[in-house]
This record gives sequence, structure tokens and C-alpha cells, in this order.
Amino acid sequence: MRLLRGLVLALLIGLPVSGCTLARSPQPSPVIQAPVRHVLPNGVRVIIQEFRSSEVVAVQLWVRAGGRDEAALELGLAHYLEHMLFKGTTTRARGFVDRDVEGVGGRMNAGTSLDYTFYHAVLPAPRAVATIEMLADISVNSILDETELELEKKVVLEEMRLSEDSPQRYLARQLYGVVFGSHPYSRPVLGTADIIQKLTRDTLLAFYRRHYVPESFALVVVGPVNPTETLRAAERTFGRLPRSGFHRLPGSAPASLTPKRVDVPRPGAFAYLGMGWLGPRLDHADTPAVDLLVSILGQSRSSRLPLSLRERLALVNSVGSDYTALEAGGVIMVTAQLEPPNLARAEAEILREVQRLREQGVTDAELRRAITRAEAGHAFRSETAEGRARLLGHAETVWRLAEELAYIDRVRSVTSEQVRLAARRYLDPERYGRLAFVPPAR
Amino acid sequence: MRRIGLSLGSAVLAIGLAAGGGAAQEPQVTRHVLPNGMTVLVRESPAVPAVAVSLQVRAGSRFETETTAGITNFLHRAMLRGTAKRTAEQFATSYEDIGGTLDAGGEVEAAEVRGQTLARNWETLLALIAEAALEPALEQEEIERERRLLLGQIKSRADAPFSFTFDAVLRDLYGPHPYGRHYLGHKESIERLTRDELRAHYRAIYRPERMVLAVSGQVERGRVIKVAERLFGRMARSAPHAEDALAVPEPAGERRIIERRAQQAQILVGYLGPGLSDSLYPAVRILAATLGGGMAGRLFVELRDRRGLAYSTGVVVPPFRTGPAFFVAYLGTAPANAAAAEAGVLHELERARAAPVTAEELARAKAYVRGQLSMDRRTNARQAWYLAFFEVVGAGWDFPERYARAIEAVTAADVARAAERYLTQPTVVVLQPTTQR
Repeated sequence: MRLLRGLVLALLIGLPVSGCTLARSPQPSPVIQAPVRHVLPNGVRVIIQEFRSSEVVAVQLWVRAGGRDEAALELGLAHYLEHMLFKGTTTRARGFVDRDVEGVGGRMNAGTSLDYTFYHAVLPAPRAVATIEMLADISVNSILDETELELEKKVVLEEMRLSEDSPQRYLARQLYGVVFGSHPYSRPVLGTADIIQKLTRDTLLAFYRRHYVPESFALVVVGPVNPTETLRAAERTFGRLPRSGFHRLPGSAPASLTPKRVDVPRPGAFAYLGMGWLGPRLDHADTPAVDLLVSILGQSRSSRLPLSLRERLALVNSVGSDYTALEAGGVIMVTAQLEPPNLARAEAEILREVQRLREQGVTDAELRRAITRAEAGHAFRSETAEGRARLLGHAETVWRLAEELAYIDRVRSVTSEQVRLAARRYLDPERYGRLAFVPPAR
Repeated sequence: MRRIGLSLGSAVLAIGLAAGGGAAQEPQVTRHVLPNGMTVLVRESPAVPAVAVSLQVRAGSRFETETTAGITNFLHRAMLRGTAKRTAEQFATSYEDIGGTLDAGGEVEAAEVRGQTLARNWETLLALIAEAALEPALEQEEIERERRLLLGQIKSRADAPFSFTFDAVLRDLYGPHPYGRHYLGHKESIERLTRDELRAHYRAIYRPERMVLAVSGQVERGRVIKVAERLFGRMARSAPHAEDALAVPEPAGERRIIERRAQQAQILVGYLGPGLSDSLYPAVRILAATLGGGMAGRLFVELRDRRGLAYSTGVVVPPFRTGPAFFVAYLGTAPANAAAAEAGVLHELERARAAPVTAEELARAKAYVRGQLSMDRRTNARQAWYLAFFEVVGAGWDFPERYARAIEAVTAADVARAAERYLTQPTVVVLQPTTQR
């Protein structure tokens, strides 16, 4: 689906999974109310959904600031700031997460992506109001202490080393560079070691003041809460922040892809192959068709690439496809783990499947199955409070809530001809970026 | 937890009402034993139109030997590759047609066939799970396909620095005890296992007395029991199975350095603790949380926050083990920091014995462990797993509620006793990256 599992780690730093779409529940159940959206006078958006399936509440702060908002010489700033927001505010000593969240049985973490940053907590429902207060506090009152800032450099540098130890993650990240060329989406969200080492408090503070403003914030609360009380808590905290007048620049469209082939020597037991194409951006009319296309190509046991390359031809250990729709552009990827001698043949077979999709399209059975899978995937992602909050917050931050709520209906109405046209439009077998990690010969 | 015995047909039905949580609707759990001895658990949860199923069998690497290592997982992976009625591909499309997922695998204490789907399709899903479990084709060609993939997974695991180092510390801790082997098995055993051995293993473990079916989601319990009876009732009753006791592992407490290509140095310090039925088990989990649970664990605060010596650090304890469970403190860092980081980890572990937990640490650790338990059980898939797992290993499906109460009752003296007893003789494995790339 539009936010990929597994591979999204390359983009969304610090988090293992990601959500995707939200639609009306086919049979509204008494324990779930529709989400309600409010816009406070200063521009903060507040989304509250009553969801009484467990005693846990999800409270999330979404910020319209991410890797793409950095200047070329400040790469890694958004992510660095995300770390520093856990280090204390003018009234909250460091260690507050431990006291206010973990100390009551909750969890809190954060993630930085190209288009946004978000802070997410899950905890016992009676803590909802206290958590809203805490998020409002860190959103503008973090002290960004010099000593902490220096200490955190070691941690972030380690995070970079760690991400290189995982080939799949590293492959996806590098493939963004190949596909997006010089566009900000090609940048590493973690930054570079060089820039991080030189980072100063002033630079960080300037980014914080500029981007962490009411107009950029969306607060999402999902759980067994009283919506009126929750809204009042948001008004009392986030509602008091002064409007800044800041308008974020819209992301520019990526330039068309320049075909590129990159081999990176990388010691390891297997080779990794990644092929990437530019896909439609999040608010494009083609996103549902591309979601289904990618699903039919390689997202389940019975989809085309695993059946052909893994089962019938025994060319790969694993193969899959994914589509990530970002605010200003999208990327479609096929990735595989395989024995190095199979690289060329696997690539040719992937292209053969792509060609077959472009020429013959998909069967009705395949289309029906992909639509049902999308519906089910949505139901499973909506099982937990934070899964729901993630869908709502993501849509509110980089898309539109109403579009998100109608998304599954759009998926249901896609025809097989639309899927074939999407394959013709986006999967050019001659123009793609190809990246391989190849173990050096021993 | 309240248990009420009711009678339903020929079998016993017990309803458990989970305690607490006035704000949310607490689903009911029903336990039913089929006449052939197989246990069925149903958790009726109306919140989301989804249903998850976990069919578990008491089998896994705990019962394997050096020569059969990985056989249970191998068998379960092969069971997904076609049945008496359908080829592998037909089987996969059958569950995908209903928006379902279906998977299987063997782990340490239990093996599982599991799936989830939209609520309206749960009966079809359950029938497919029964088909994979009761009528697997286990054809030679499909076994060979799976063998190739498993060998790839074993090779990948050895290629990833953390899992490679982690497997090494478990081997050093457990010696020949089966807990020292990964449930994937090893290259030699997976290369060697034959179709006949897989089929014999299947016949040995797929017996109603060692099977538990758990269903969680938008379902009605009477209907689930009826369908389960129809699908699984035809299995013949078997003799109750007895489990052999295993020799107690005796780690020598050695330190070992592994040199290989990696970006990060890994430092792992392991100990053996008690199994889940031991009275000190909750105290050991609290001890693990004070040291390595989240952002307030001593390792995180001291080594990552205060000294910037690590990106990742914490304590890994297995989800749940019936026998001696490992307790492994880990730390990943830049190669240049490895020596300081290792000394730091060992110092904190030593200090856990010398300096008792404060009242504040104890309260936080309890909240953390309880939180972890409830956070982990919020989806139907996890709920089904929990129910089936604790029932199949003999602890009882309501173990988590009893465990949560035991956690609440742990005292600082219990934690001190746990540290005194179990944090002795560390087994250390250090992965030192070589510079050559």
C-alpha cells in the first residue's frame, strides 16, 4: 500500500511499522464513533475519535516538518530535533518520558520522515489529558540543552551505523537517491555524519522556531476518552500558542527519472536488487490503481513476482513490490534478496512480469483479490487505537482527512483497465533506477 | 479473574471475565474441550470487523535434537504448500480471496498455524486452517522448494550481526540444551531432513491432546465451537502426551570475542533465569525492566543518555519459556567505544546485585511490565496467540491475568533475591567489527 511495510524504515526513522488508509467501517459498531476534526483559532488541528475496544488511548502530535524542509547544508536537522524533544523542557526535567509515560505503563516514541515528524504515545486512558499537556510542552518549550545536544551526536551517529548494518533498509534508502536524483526526497533523513558533527544549537533552534508552530501541528487522540474534555485540554494547551504566520512551501515535483544502474560492493551472504520508478504523489487520482497494481505484482504469496521468481524459477529468496506515496511525489519499488549469480536473470524476469502487466493487464480474479486484501489490510490496521491515530494523523498532515475516509471506496471502484493503464504509465521497462548490493568475489 | 463452570453438550465451558477497565468493553473468553481432547478458546470481541485464529501444537525446538533441529518449523512451512484438495498456489489464492492471511511456523515451545480475515469470512478461514493442519499434502517437490528458502533464511540470519551474535550467546549459555538452538534449525539438519521424517513428525505431534485452537474477534462462541467440532472432531482421541524432563543447562560463564565485518560492535551479556511457573519469575521480569526496560532502564539512562556510549541497549528476555529462560543484556556501539561500553554494562549488572531497586524504580518497572503485557495484546491476532500459547504449554489461557497480579505483588526484596540468584557468572560475547570490508 502507499506506505510500505518493512522498507519504509529507510524513510521513517525510528519506527517499525506504518499505516495507510482509513475508510468508513462497513458495519459501524457501538464502540467506535466517527473521528471529529476541529481547527483551533491559531491553526492547530485536533482530531478526536472515541474508540472503546481497550483501555488504552493513543495520543499523537504530527508536525508538518521533515527531511524535505532542510537546507542542503542542514541535512538531518528534523530528525535531530525529534531526538532533542525528549531531553527536557523549561518546566520538565529530562527523564519526563520515563516518569509521565513509562512510569504509568505507557510507551512513547517518535518518527521523522521526508514530509513530517510525529510523536506518538499509547497509555492508560486516564492519562490522555496529561499527555496532551506534555506534547504541547515539548512542541514549543524544549530547551535543546548544549550538553545534551553534544551527547546526542554520538547516539545519532550510531543510529547511522546501525542502519547500514541492515541491507534491506539501506537498499531502500539508497534507492530513493537513485530515483529522486537531486530532489529533496533523495536525501538521507538521518543526515550525514559530517553535518551532524558540526551541528550547533543555533541552527537547531532556528529550525525549531520556524517549523514547530501552531499552523504545522495536528493533535490526534483515539481511545476511550470523553471528546469534550479532550478538546478542552487541547484548547487549554495547544490553543494558547500564538499564531506564527508561517506558511510551509509546498514540495516541488520531482524531475523525470534519469535511468541509472548502480552496483555497490557490499560483503554479505546474498546480493540485494532494487528497482525503482517514480509513482504518483499522494493526492493524485491514480493512487488507488497503483496501490492495486503493486499489490498484484508482489505483495502476497499468490502475487506475480513471488510466484514466478521465487516459486517457479527459484531465482530469489524473497521478492516484493511497494509503493510509497509522498506529498510531492511517489516511488514504486521492487526489491529482492538473491544469490549473486542470479542478478541479471532476476532483473530480466521482473521486467518480463512488468511487460506482461503493461500488455495484458490483470485478471478479474486478481483485481478482486487485491481489493479484498486492501479492505482487510485496512480493517487490521484499524484494530488498535494507535493504528487508527496513525491513519488519521498521516492524512491530516500530508493529505486530507476526507480523502482518507473515502479512500477504500475509491479502491473498490478501480477497474482492471485502470490497473493496466497505471502499469503503462508508471512502470516503464526501459526507464528505471536499478541498484544492487553485490558481495565481492572471495 | 472469575471462572464459572457451565455445561454445554458433553463438554465443560468456562467463562472468564477479565478484571478492571471500566472504560472499555472487556471481551469474554470461553474454554471448551472437544470430545477428542482438543481445546477450543473463543474470545468474543465486537470492536472491529476482523477475526484472528491461532491453532497451536505443543511441539517445537524445545523437543528437538541436534539431528532434528528445525524439523517442526520446516514441517509447518511445508504444510502451507498444498493440501489433499489444493495445490500450493490454489491454497494461497483461497485465503487471499477472502481478504485473509494464513501462515504457519514452529518456534521454541509451540508451533502454530494462524490467520486473520474480515469477520464475515471467518468460517472459510477456519476451514482452510483445518485443511492445512489436518490434510497437508507434504509433497516432495514443495518440500524441496521450502528447503531452499529455509537454507536462505539460516544464511541470512548468520549474516546479520545482531542475530548472529545473539545466537552465539544462547549457544554458550545453554550448551547442548535445546533452548540453545534457533527454531530455524541449522544448515546440516535442514539439508538432511527427509520427507518421511517430516511426515512421521507430523503424525507424532498432530494429536488432539496437544492442540489448542483460539479464535478472537467478531464471532459468536456457540457458532465457533460448533464449526470447530465439525472441522476437528474427526481426529481420533490419542494418549495423553508426556514431556521428558531436560537436563539443566550449566553455563561456564566464559567471555568470547567474535571478529567479523559489521558497522557496530555488539556486546551481549547473558544469564539463565527461571521458567514461567517459578515463583521468582515475576521478580526476574521486574529486574530486567529496571535494567533494560525502555528509556528509564538503568542501561539506557547510564550508557546511552548520560555517556552516549550506545545507540541501542537494553535487556532481552524471551517472550515466555517453560524451562530456564535467558536474560541477555545487549549494547550496540561504535567499535572504538566497545571496551568502555562493555565495562559499563558489566558494572550496571554488578550494581544490580549490590544496590537494591528503589521504591520509585520498582513502581516504574511494574507499570512498564504490565504496560508491555497489555500493549502486546491489543489486536485479535495477538489475543489469539496469547490464549492458545499459554493453554498449549500447560500454564492455562488465563496465565497473563495471574502473571499481571504476581507482577503487582513483587517486592524490592524479591528483586534483590532474583539478582542475587541469577545474575552470577556472566556469559559474554563481543562482536568486534573488523576494518576490512
